[in-house]
Amino acid sequence: MNQTTQHGFEPKIIAFVCTWCTYAGADLAGTSRMQYPANVRVLKFPCTGRIDPVFILKAFQQGADGVLVSGCHPGDCHYIAGNFHARRRFAAFRKLLEFIGVDLSRLQFSWVSAAEGGKWVEVVTDLTEKVRAMGPMVEFKELALEEQWSGVIDTPELKEAYNAI
Amino acid sequence: MNIHVLDKSIYTAVTEAIRSEATRLLTAGDVTVIVGYAAARRKGSAQPIVITSSADADKLIFTPACVNNLAVYLTKAKKEIPKGGKIGIVVKGCDLKALVGLMGESQLKREELYLIGVPCVGVLASTVQPATELTAETIASKCRECDAHLPSGCDLLPNVVLPPMPQLEGKYSAEIARLEALPPAERWAFWKEQFAKCIKCYACRQVCPFCFCEQCLCDRNKPQMVDTTPRPAGNTAWHIVRAMHLAGRCAGCAECERVCPMDIPLNLLNRKMAKELKELFDYEAGFEVNEKGPLSTYTEKDDQSFIK
Amino acid sequence: MQKYISQQNLNTLLDKLITKGIRVVAPRISAGIPLYEPLKCSDEMVTDQLPRRSAKEAFFPVCEEIMSYEKEGQQVKLTDVDPARFPETVLVGVRPCDAAAIPVLDAVFSWDYKDEFFLERRRKTTIIGLACTTADDACFCTAVGLSPAETRGSDLFLTLLDGGGYACESYSEKGEALINGNGELFSESNNAVPFHLAAPQAEKIDLKKVKAWLDEHFEDPLWDGIAVRCVGCGACAFVCPACHCFDIVDEGTEKNGKRRKSWDACGFWKFTHHASGHNPRDLQPKRYRNRIMHKFKYYDDKFGQTLCTGCGRCVRICPVGIDIAAIVDEINKK
Repeated sequence: MNQTTQHGFEPKIIAFVCTWCTYAGADLAGTSRMQYPANVRVLKFPCTGRIDPVFILKAFQQGADGVLVSGCHPGDCHYIAGNFHARRRFAAFRKLLEFIGVDLSRLQFSWVSAAEGGKWVEVVTDLTEKVRAMGPMVEFKELALEEQWSGVIDTPELKEAYNAI
Repeated sequence: MNIHVLDKSIYTAVTEAIRSEATRLLTAGDVTVIVGYAAARRKGSAQPIVITSSADADKLIFTPACVNNLAVYLTKAKKEIPKGGKIGIVVKGCDLKALVGLMGESQLKREELYLIGVPCVGVLASTVQPATELTAETIASKCRECDAHLPSGCDLLPNVVLPPMPQLEGKYSAEIARLEALPPAERWAFWKEQFAKCIKCYACRQVCPFCFCEQCLCDRNKPQMVDTTPRPAGNTAWHIVRAMHLAGRCAGCAECERVCPMDIPLNLLNRKMAKELKELFDYEAGFEVNEKGPLSTYTEKDDQSFIK
Repeated sequence: MQKYISQQNLNTLLDKLITKGIRVVAPRISAGIPLYEPLKCSDEMVTDQLPRRSAKEAFFPVCEEIMSYEKEGQQVKLTDVDPARFPETVLVGVRPCDAAAIPVLDAVFSWDYKDEFFLERRRKTTIIGLACTTADDACFCTAVGLSPAETRGSDLFLTLLDGGGYACESYSEKGEALINGNGELFSESNNAVPFHLAAPQAEKIDLKKVKAWLDEHFEDPLWDGIAVRCVGCGACAFVCPACHCFDIVDEGTEKNGKRRKSWDACGFWKFTHHASGHNPRDLQPKRYRNRIMHKFKYYDDKFGQTLCTGCGRCVRICPVGIDIAAIVDEINKK
């Protein structure tokens, strides 16, 4: 029996990482042949300061079950202060998402340096397992299928898609 | 309970002061244009007006129906108002906070403005007819929690004595506390129902003094970060983006909520973010120009307990 | 053929239709505001408040899918929406100002191009109008030649009677069919006195005179004067029962997605923005002028009617108090 059928649900995790630290850290994990869940899809950015909160929204809307944002430790930013700005922005954004009703356990922030292959494995594994236990993120997926009443057409395909969530 | 919270004579006195100042400024050529309020057709209603001649100064009024934040007309997004020369503008305390915010963001220069401040008891809620008497029931929610009845730092502030303000329970703080206490799924259900009503008329964006981007992120399609159609998905994304882009900038005029034709409680999002930014970074919108808002600066000691 | 139906029988009729699987759309309170929406049961209907959005969305949805696509390898599969799937609908409790706008929309959507999305929904819908009993000073149906008892656009028309129940008049085959199919719920008219109807105060405007002025004044200082304060949102067009502009966008990913049609508004800066970057309506007064011109001139040029039924929604919701009734009145007095 393969892993997929064992668990029934394989979470999709999107990781937004900075190229200088976390991406290098993930690369180190790979070259060191460390094992970590294949659920994570890595998107590389120049800096955490470039990661717009709207990317996180878009990820959830397009089917992510969990999102990781990771960059350089404070003081190590290649652009001196990008991660300090990001830290404030995400502190605020978390509060907004929480107020809208998003479960913050699905959104993880971390500092992973180029030398921390082990920490990368730990962060990714923890988030994947946490999200796996929570089950799929249905809120945004349901939303994507909803229409204003006037635009609703009762098609069997739509019902099927809805029930599939 | 029908508490009359104000004495109308103040409004007459303020109107008189605005008119005589406008006449003086336009006659002397100290300003080229004045943005203020004028009476409109419906009984008791008021609307923004732009005047360039002292002959029109008598059209200016100030009443509890003067709900607009006129600061929006001074932004670069509004190209219709002639921007050459000094501009006179009638401002309530809440409107002044928006102007101060725009100055902090280098959108306006203090020396290019002539601020006609108005002492304000409060304005009418958007849900009542414009001719309604201003009472504890009909006052706008933002005014219940107002700390800026008297704008400060204006070029003119009519010398009138504000009547004593009754203590009114803050509706936003109560509603935020109620929502915060709900389980996340119920909060999601609340906002889902509210955002579902949105028709993407963008009135909230268009009246906001801080939405001065010449091209909004949500109007762009390369990349299309937010779906433009008025469906639950795109609506939710739009309102989250809007609240985030205003976090640490919003001055609390609540125009977004007032103008929403679908009565979506948008200012709840803004108040919630203001509350969080106060707690996290000790920031509040006020009458002092800050060159850096809370999200455009940082300290090395900022909280990072949420980061692994 | 005038009939009588009691409030109770009207509710029974609606519940019966709902049970039969017919979509019954009526004003109800939705998340705090009155909107035309499908009813789950007849008790939900509220008739004493004007819905915030007009009844046009029953035929011209806020947003609707018109096509979907799916990509597999090099193959792209396109799927059209089948209008046969639009639900049978009874639209009830429609204000005269909303009902009168429907024939106005019919003209546009069945002109050179037959819009099957609109027309199929229209074919499947029976409209039950309701004489208006509440007006405020934003209402101006009387200014544009309509009235709180206007029956244009309705298949059946109800008038609330003093002492309860409704006088019911049929104006089409659809209306007849609804009465005949539910004969036991209607009785002969008892000639009761109608409940006092709303009395909007707006005086009748000479629409031909307004049009004649507009014909000559494309460029006029009036536009700057009234529209310098317009902030460029789409609220007026979206709540309007007669505005009918729409946009078509593709939404989705490279694998699959949908083509959707949704409301658009001439107040938006983007409405006339060309791909080249040029915008022929570069300032807000030019955009606002188009709103007035379309309603009182262009539509009249093409279809011989006015594109405004005086519901007053735009007057109530305009963020900056722009009052179309006052503007047309001003033109009328020129």
